[in-house]
Amino acid sequence: MTLTITNLSKQYNAQKTAVSNFSLTMNKGVLGLLGPNGAGKSTLMKIIATISKPSAGSLHLGGTDIVQNPNSIRKVLGYLPQDFGVYPNLNAYEFLEYIAAMKGLGGKGLRQRIDLLLEGVNLTADAKRPIGTYSGGMKQRIGIAQALLNDPKVLIFDEPTVGLDPEERMRFRQLIADLAQDSIIILSSHIVSDIETIADEVAIMQEGKLITHAPQYDIIKQAEGRIFEVLLDNADLNAFKHQFKVIDTARQADKIKVRYISTAHAAAPLSIQVTATLEDAYLFLTHNNS
Amino acid sequence: MPYIYPIIKADYLQRTRSYSFLITLAVTIFMAYSFIPAQNASYTTLSAAGYKGVYNSAWVGYVSGIMTTIMLSYFGFMLINSGIKKDIETEVGLIIATTPISNFKYLLSKQLSNYLVLLTIAGITFSVSIGVFFIRGTGYPFVLSNFILPYLFFAVPALFVVASLAVVGEVFLGKRSILQFIAYFALCGICMSLINSKSGAQTTGAFDPFGLSLITSSITDHINSHYGEDIKKVSFGFLFNGQRAYKPFTWEGLDWSAVFIGSRLMWMGLGLVLVYSSSLFFHRFDFRQAVSTKKKKKEMVSIAEVKPMAKSIGLSRAGLPALNFDYGIFPLVKTEFLLLIRQGNKWLWLLNAGLWLAMCFVPLSIAYSYLLPILLFFQVTRWSELATKEQSNRVHYFAYAAYKPLQRMLPAQILAGVILALGLCLPVIIRCAIAADTYAVVNIMNGAILIVLLAVALGMLTGGKKLFEVFFFLLTYCVVNKLPVTDYLGSLPHQNMTLFMLLILGVNVALAIVSLMARSYQTRHL
Repeated sequence: MTLTITNLSKQYNAQKTAVSNFSLTMNKGVLGLLGPNGAGKSTLMKIIATISKPSAGSLHLGGTDIVQNPNSIRKVLGYLPQDFGVYPNLNAYEFLEYIAAMKGLGGKGLRQRIDLLLEGVNLTADAKRPIGTYSGGMKQRIGIAQALLNDPKVLIFDEPTVGLDPEERMRFRQLIADLAQDSIIILSSHIVSDIETIADEVAIMQEGKLITHAPQYDIIKQAEGRIFEVLLDNADLNAFKHQFKVIDTARQADKIKVRYISTAHAAAPLSIQVTATLEDAYLFLTHNNS
Repeated sequence: MPYIYPIIKADYLQRTRSYSFLITLAVTIFMAYSFIPAQNASYTTLSAAGYKGVYNSAWVGYVSGIMTTIMLSYFGFMLINSGIKKDIETEVGLIIATTPISNFKYLLSKQLSNYLVLLTIAGITFSVSIGVFFIRGTGYPFVLSNFILPYLFFAVPALFVVASLAVVGEVFLGKRSILQFIAYFALCGICMSLINSKSGAQTTGAFDPFGLSLITSSITDHINSHYGEDIKKVSFGFLFNGQRAYKPFTWEGLDWSAVFIGSRLMWMGLGLVLVYSSSLFFHRFDFRQAVSTKKKKKEMVSIAEVKPMAKSIGLSRAGLPALNFDYGIFPLVKTEFLLLIRQGNKWLWLLNAGLWLAMCFVPLSIAYSYLLPILLFFQVTRWSELATKEQSNRVHYFAYAAYKPLQRMLPAQILAGVILALGLCLPVIIRCAIAADTYAVVNIMNGAILIVLLAVALGMLTGGKKLFEVFFFLLTYCVVNKLPVTDYLGSLPHQNMTLFMLLILGVNVALAIVSLMARSYQTRHL
C-alpha cells in the first residue's frame, strides 16, 4: 500500500496558505513530520485524515483518490489528533465502544479487543470511571487506544506523546515500531528525540512547504560538519548569539557549554566539531531556509 | 477597578462574535417589528379590555419598551446564562482562578458583560421601534423622549437585574441549566403577577422589578376616567384574538415620579448586592470543594491501589483478536441515546417521570396542550447538544474521520433524539390513538421529529446550542399561549388538518436536508 501526495495545497484565504505544493510518497514504515509551529503539519494530517479538503492537488492510497472517495481510507484509518476531546459522561469502555461503532466495528471480538486495548494502555482499572475524571495522560492513552481499534493500515499521530510520562513514551515508541511493520504511520512531534527513535524517514515542513524528505540518516548528513561546541564565559553569550545559531546551552562550572550551528561564518575559536543529531539537522535546515 | 474594563470587553466580544448572535439580532429585529402590530393584524401586544391606543409616539415607544423589557427578561436570561460555564468549558477559568482578581470583581465583570449583551439587543429594538413609528404611524408627531424614557426606566434597570440573576443562577446552580430556567421562570411568573397590582399613588411600580405596574395603572386609570369603564388589568405579550375591533383611545405617556426612578436604582442596587452575595459562595473553578472528604479519601485509595504504571501501553498487534465489521447504525444509536439520557442531572428524570405520568391521567386536552410541550421543553439541553457535542467536546476529529459519518452518524443522532421524543410523547399518542384521533397521533409524531431536526439543524448552522434553546423556549411559550402559527404539535384546531400535517412534514424534510448539507460541509472543513 502506497500513500501518494501530489502538489497538495490548502489555502484558507488570500493571506493564509497552510500547505503549499506538497508532494511526497510513502510506504509501510514511520514518517516523522517535523516543523516549527504553524508550518502546516496539523493541516496536512487533517487532509490525509479526510476531515479537511485540499484547495489543490491529490492524495492517493493504493491508487484510490481519497479526496474524491474519503470513505476508502476511513475504513483503514487510525487518527490521533493534537487537541482531541472526549465525552466526559462516558466511561472508557463506553467511549471505545462508541468509536468502534463509528468505525463500523462489531461482533464478538470487539469486547475482547477493547479489553485488550484498555489493558494495553493501562486503563483497565479505570475503565468504569467517567472519562471526565481522567488526567491528561490517561485521556491521551484513551486517544491512542481508539486509534488502534480498527487495526489501521494508515495511522496518523499528531503530537501523540503529549502528556505521557517518560516510561509511557518509551512504550509508545515500542508500540509504533510493532505497528510500523504492517502500516503507514505518520507522526508529528515537537519532541525531536521521539522522531529520532521511531521514524524511518523524516519530512521537514516550514511555512507550508516541504523542505526535505529523506531517510533520517541522510537528513542528519546534511548538518554534518556544521555543528560545534564551545565553552564561553557568561558575559560573552549574548554577543555569541548574534554571530551563530545557538542550539543548546549547558552550565559547566563557571562557564557555559554552547552547542551551535556554523553556516556562513567560520567556527568560533576553541570550538570542537561534534556529531550532528536529528535535532541539529532540523534546526540547521529550518534556520537555513528562513 | 481599572482592569475590569478589558475583562468585560473581552467577554462581550467573545459572546457577540458568533453566528448565533448574528441570528439572534436578526430575530430581534423581526420581534421588535412585531411588537407594534399592523392595524389589521390578528394579534395585539397590549390589551386593555377591548381598548387599544392610537399609534402616537407615546403608545409606540412605551409598548415597544414594555415588550422589550418582558421578552428580554424572559429569553434574555437563557441567552446570557453561560458566561461562567464557558470559562469552565474552555478552562480559561483555571487561569482566571490564579490571577489576583477577586470573586466579586470577576462575577461583576460577568454581570456587566451579560448586561451589555442585553443592552445591545435592547438598543436594536429601540432603533426598530422608531422605524416602526414612521412605518405604522398615522400622522402623530414624533416625540423622542417617548421612546427613550420607557427604555431608560423600564428596560435598563430590569435588564440589570436579569444580568445579575444570570450570574447568581450560574454560581448556585452551576451546570444545572434546566433547574436555573425553572427557578428563573417561576420568579418571572411571580413578578409578572405584580404588574397589575396597585399600591399608593406615589409607590406604584416601585416594588415591581419590571416597574410595569406604573403603566398598567396609568392606562386603566385613563380608560376608566375617560370612558366610564371599570377595567382592572392590562395584558401584555403576544395576544391572539383574531381580527378583533378595538376601541381606540389616546394615551400620552407617563409622568415619572422621583420615587419610581429611585426604586429603579434600588432594584439595580439589589442586583449588585445579589452579585456580591453570590461571590461569597463562588467556587472559583475549584470543583473538588464540592466532593465530600469521605468520597475523596475513598477515591484516592482506589486510584492508589490500581495504578501499576509499569505496564502502560504494552500493546502488541498480534495479540489482538480478529476484527468483525458491522456498518449498521444500531450501536451508534445506542450510544447516542445513552448520551442523551445521561446529559444533565439525574433528578430531572424525576420531574420528567412526574409529568409523563401526569399526562396519563389529566384530561387529554391539558396533557396535549400544556404538559406535553412543557415536558418536551424540559429536554432542551439534551437536544441542543445532539449535533453540537462533537465540536464542544472536541470529539469531531474522530467522528468525522470515521467511516461514512454523514450516512451513519447523523441519522443515528437524529434517530436517538426522535426515540427519546416519541418516548416522552407516548402517553398522549396512546390516548389520542384510543380516541381514534389519527390526525393528533401523526401531528405529535411530526412535532416530535420537528423539534429534534430543529435542534440538529440550528446546532450545526450556528455551531452552538444557545439559539435552539432560546428558540425552543419562545416556541413553547407561544404554544402554551395557543399561538396558531407556532402550533408544532397540532393541538389547536386548524382549518385544513391534512394541509397542516403536510406543512410540518415539509418543514421536517427541509430541516433534514439542511442538516445533511451542513454536516456534509462540516466533515470536510475542519
